[in-house]
Amino acid sequence: MAAAAPALSLAPMATTVTAAAAQKAASPKAAAGGDVRKVVPVMAAAADEVVVQELHVLAVDDSVVDRAVIAKILRSSKYRVTTVESATRALELLGLGLITNVNMIITDYWMPGMTGYELLKRVKESSELKEIPVVIMSSENVPNRINRCLEEGAEDFLLKPVRPSDVSRLCSRIR
Amino acid sequence: MDYSNLRRQIIFMKKSFFDQGYLDEQFNQLEELQDESSPNFVEEVVALFLKDSPRLLINIEQAIEKYPQDFYRLDSLVHQLKGSASSIGAVRMKNECSVLKAHGNDKNLEGCRRSLQKMKREHATLKQKLESYFQLLRQVGPRNSAVNSRK
Repeated sequence: MAAAAPALSLAPMATTVTAAAAQKAASPKAAAGGDVRKVVPVMAAAADEVVVQELHVLAVDDSVVDRAVIAKILRSSKYRVTTVESATRALELLGLGLITNVNMIITDYWMPGMTGYELLKRVKESSELKEIPVVIMSSENVPNRINRCLEEGAEDFLLKPVRPSDVSRLCSRIR
Repeated sequence: MDYSNLRRQIIFMKKSFFDQGYLDEQFNQLEELQDESSPNFVEEVVALFLKDSPRLLINIEQAIEKYPQDFYRLDSLVHQLKGSASSIGAVRMKNECSVLKAHGNDKNLEGCRRSLQKMKREHATLKQKLESYFQLLRQVGPRNSAVNSRK
């Protein structure tokens, strides 16, 4: 897979900031527990000027293996990724403002506790969050399930195991 | 150190995993993701799987052996194991999970037990094979391994 700039189909919000500001932005915030990691890829354009690619994806999955895989796929496409192990945790951290500037949420469908479908509904019901595109992942190809998610406002539905090509397909849909 | 010989061994080993049906295309997809920033990505993800799956196997056994059996919980656990196995390309384990799931849905206890025993054997074999594979890879080193690193 060629590590092309994600600008192929989507428009990452590239902002030019001073080196000092970029330094501040690059330091990861301490999260309130849970599996939260942030990576900000920085590309140097000139000596005292950096361009920060900031398309931020929140990935929710109860499987530690799947979190690692989806995070890697997304980071390889130059997204900044925050991973969380449950939908309740995701809503909690979003509500507390500990996860911000989310451009897309990608979530597993079937999780203990709150499902990805319920997360989708909560996001679409929230005035602050409803504009965020939500993608559902599932290992099961159940047409009713897919339709329900799409009807509820899901951006897309990916079958697991997720592949890099699935993610590039998403690129073109995300503002 | 004879790198070309080691590389041949690595390629042959990996091919045998595919030919014997232990791994599927998903494993290749993961290897494609490896780059300078994470040259050992596949080994790390497999390590995560091997660390996480024994717990699931134990819990599955408990769900089967307790009385009364908790088939709902069994289904949930097998679903989790199946998902992780599928994500690393461990197709034999994934398929055995489907069998176990079906027995669980039929409330076929004996079937569940047989399937779980088979699953444990598959898990042990997979672990041994993949650990040998990664050990070989480490001998060759990320720069010399033409098999899994991106050029």
